[in-house]
Amino acid sequence: MSRTEEGDEESTPDGASQTDAAPPVEFEEGPDNRRGPDELTAVSSREEKADARKIVTGEAKYTADYAREFPDLAAGKVLRSEIAHGVVTELDTSAAEEMDGVYAVITPDSAEVPNDPYTSAGQSYPEPSPYDLRVLRKRVRYVGDPIAAVAAEDVATARAAVQAIEVSYDERDAVLDAEAAIEPDAPRIHDPESVENHQPGADYERNIEAHAEGEIGDVDGAFEAAADRSDLTVVETEWATPHQSHCVGEPHTTIARRDQDDRYHFVTSTQVPYHARRQLARLFDVPIRDIRVTKPRIGGGFGGKQSIVLEPIALALTMAIDRPVKLEATRKEEFHAMRVRRPASITVRSVVTDEGDLEAIDMSVLTNSGAYGSHGLTASGAIGKKQLALYTHTPNIRLEMTAAHTNRPVAGAMRGYGAPQGHFALEGHMDAVARELGMDPLEFRARNVIGEGDLDVASSILKEGDGEIRGGGRRIRSCGLDECIERGKRAIGWGDVEQPDAPHLHRGIGAALTIQSSGVPNDELGAAHIKMNEDGSFILQTGAVDIGTGADTAMAQIAAEILGAPPEDVLVQPSDTDISPFDYGAYASSTTYVTGTAVKKAAQDAREQLFDFAARLLGEPRETLTARDGAVYAERSGESVSLKEIGYESIYGDEERAQVMGEASHSTPESPPPFGAQFADVTVDERTGEFEVHDLVYAIDCGTVINPDLAEGQVTGAMHMSYELAVGSGFSFDDDGQPEVVGFGDYGIPKADTQPPLTPIFVETHEPSGPFGAKAVAEIPTNGVPPALSNAIRDAVGVRIDDLPITAEKIRAALDAE
Amino acid sequence: MDVELTLNGEDVTLTAAQSDTLLDALRGAGYTGTKRGCGTGDCGFCTVAVDGEPVKSCLQPVARVEGATVETIENLGTQDELHPVQAAFVDNAALQCGFCIPGMIMRVTQLLESNPEPDEREIREALSGNICRCTGYEKIVDAVQDAAMRLSNDGAVVSDGGRPVSSNRSCVGCSDCPGGDGE
Repeated sequence: MSRTEEGDEESTPDGASQTDAAPPVEFEEGPDNRRGPDELTAVSSREEKADARKIVTGEAKYTADYAREFPDLAAGKVLRSEIAHGVVTELDTSAAEEMDGVYAVITPDSAEVPNDPYTSAGQSYPEPSPYDLRVLRKRVRYVGDPIAAVAAEDVATARAAVQAIEVSYDERDAVLDAEAAIEPDAPRIHDPESVENHQPGADYERNIEAHAEGEIGDVDGAFEAAADRSDLTVVETEWATPHQSHCVGEPHTTIARRDQDDRYHFVTSTQVPYHARRQLARLFDVPIRDIRVTKPRIGGGFGGKQSIVLEPIALALTMAIDRPVKLEATRKEEFHAMRVRRPASITVRSVVTDEGDLEAIDMSVLTNSGAYGSHGLTASGAIGKKQLALYTHTPNIRLEMTAAHTNRPVAGAMRGYGAPQGHFALEGHMDAVARELGMDPLEFRARNVIGEGDLDVASSILKEGDGEIRGGGRRIRSCGLDECIERGKRAIGWGDVEQPDAPHLHRGIGAALTIQSSGVPNDELGAAHIKMNEDGSFILQTGAVDIGTGADTAMAQIAAEILGAPPEDVLVQPSDTDISPFDYGAYASSTTYVTGTAVKKAAQDAREQLFDFAARLLGEPRETLTARDGAVYAERSGESVSLKEIGYESIYGDEERAQVMGEASHSTPESPPPFGAQFADVTVDERTGEFEVHDLVYAIDCGTVINPDLAEGQVTGAMHMSYELAVGSGFSFDDDGQPEVVGFGDYGIPKADTQPPLTPIFVETHEPSGPFGAKAVAEIPTNGVPPALSNAIRDAVGVRIDDLPITAEKIRAALDAE
Repeated sequence: MDVELTLNGEDVTLTAAQSDTLLDALRGAGYTGTKRGCGTGDCGFCTVAVDGEPVKSCLQPVARVEGATVETIENLGTQDELHPVQAAFVDNAALQCGFCIPGMIMRVTQLLESNPEPDEREIREALSGNICRCTGYEKIVDAVQDAAMRLSNDGAVVSDGGRPVSSNRSCVGCSDCPGGDGE
């Protein structure tokens, strides 16, 4: 279906050559990985989530639930800026300090509060994000900036003490929109002298945190040609997306304390225990070894807890009072002082032939980073490059991105990581192009989209230099997009819509293709350790950070598949930097793909040791042994020895004793994309613009499905979040930058009675580089609903909503304008 | 101040500050299955039963439950003997991070007592005050329908008075056990 035929490996877009050899189609995988779907038992089972029973009984312990383990625990509260932009001129803490039950008040001047800048972005080292924020600050840049903090005997006292701190501000003009922020006369938000920023294109005179561009081919040439030729059509569209809150169930919570070994120990709701440890150590000038981060159960992350936001304040407080301190964000703080999905304004221009072949795509992205830089370059770049990979065969592609500071909440990582904004623009644009040509939107996509065996160079567009793509691009070794489209079409009734009887009601169907990655290529490390107990069970330690996804369960299933053990016999320890092997953390859809591979390799290592014992016990050559059904079998004789027997033999045996312990690390340049097709079925009332979504169908190729129950939950949960981006309220602010959305009551989160039906469809492929053929699943379904729903509304009533959220008022206004 | 109430079938006295909510008092007394998500009654994570009605405990001043009968998630089944609603959530994989689940289950048990055979619309309306960020609600609705069937087969909702979590696991090698003389 793609224009680059399979086997045409050396084909590259015109004008872009490759310095490195393009990755080959073939990928060497071991015999374990080549097992067919029928040979998989543990990974494909709907294994009960390891923590399910303690969750339903209320026994699962999240960070706040550890409070009772520390009898001298102090409650922390943070004083946050009430203005959007300015300088604190006076900070009088005397009344607060004198209050009964107040242990300490810390300010930017306190000895325990570092003055060095850091980044809250929990990224690998060195962090791409700038060091531009301080633990507490007098120079405030958004409503919510932390100024001071209190530790007190209880929450009520801490809250009262915060209110008793007197603050005077020298208020400055605020700038709220990215478009206004980059104007030459806009208020300047950062002083470049006090920021450490290695991102390309930073220009603090214009509030630009980062700017990058890349080009494949000759985009200007393609548009010039189009101006002269009647067989080429130019289509230009503009798109806008709002803020989105992660709405984590469990608010960010952290407990910090000094332990009896004079080390600092955190129990904290984080997605990145190791990055948090490293960044805290640097910021507070403490050896890494003297910080321990324990991750308990986490009440949802979605990228929000990839930020190190409360931990530094908690550590400064605990240093000040030498007692354990707990900080727990309020819901208002969650909405405005934690992190958000960055709003984006996106322009897409393209040149297309009459036959429907894309000749050029030119994409320009401006994002609103808010007050501080976190993920500005990488998430804004992802807005283009992630989904441009779908149309990598387009010979001329350009991407330009700018991340601008404003006096708004700080943008960070959020599920999808730029791709939801980018998909809204690009997949809406593709629908518009197809309509312009009078083609079926999916047939148009089919002419242009990437397929199995193809080389993707577009996702590397920002690594382009002098017309060359460094790294040689990404080889697509598994792609079920054709089948996703076909099965999704059947499920939604594509081309077969029954119109309602009422003449003012119109039904339409929309579609959007989607793509993501499986981890950050060349920038991940997962490690695993597995040891056998004498009863034949195993304890698996990984740094995989289960933030509620069920990663612990999936890891156990991967190990069990190799070891031939029942999955429930593999116990997984939650990540703890003192105990677990290293892991980059739960982000970038990396856990199953990267850490899962480390687990598989560690289990293979352990299985070699099982075979040593089994070969001796059975008197059979080890190459004839297999591990399955809780035992090791000698295929020749049919004899077997149970894992329990091997466990006892390994530890209490009369001959050589050695505990079975496997270990492995995994790091990879590969990041195979999962694919999917999102469909929306909608009826619009042309009189009012009101609309009803009948069904949201998402057909996904995530390679081999590991635990269908967990995978389905990932898809429906991500689609829910995607639907919210499409129709939710976003944030609103008054002219002074004061937030008007401060709680769930103001924010348009879909609830049980307003969430339309969600239908996941799995199209299994085999990704040779993934564990048992698996790719990522968790983020990609966040991408498709806004464009699919916008396209469906266009199908129903002929108007296109290009700024989110989609509302009845906007549809009505667009109909009126026609 | 002291507040006397019947909590999970036992007469207890909760020591609390005047300004404390029922949620504050419950969590302070160790009933941490009840979760705090917003403090404004919008998320439903802190749902408990007060005199048989679902109540968002973050909005309920603890002083107001003097003499009342309060039930929390700890009053339902144990990990070994799950209440049918809990079992339905487990078996339908109707949970991910789990932070909303105790409140959700408390709301569902109340729903099924008042309406043993709810249709999907009734289920969704009943759960409209209980946010879940992880699941998209699909599997939760499935679980509620499944729970309704289990309860109709089992008879009345079990309410066993909040027995403590017991451990049936025997220990190996400790000095209190027969033969526990190892090192």
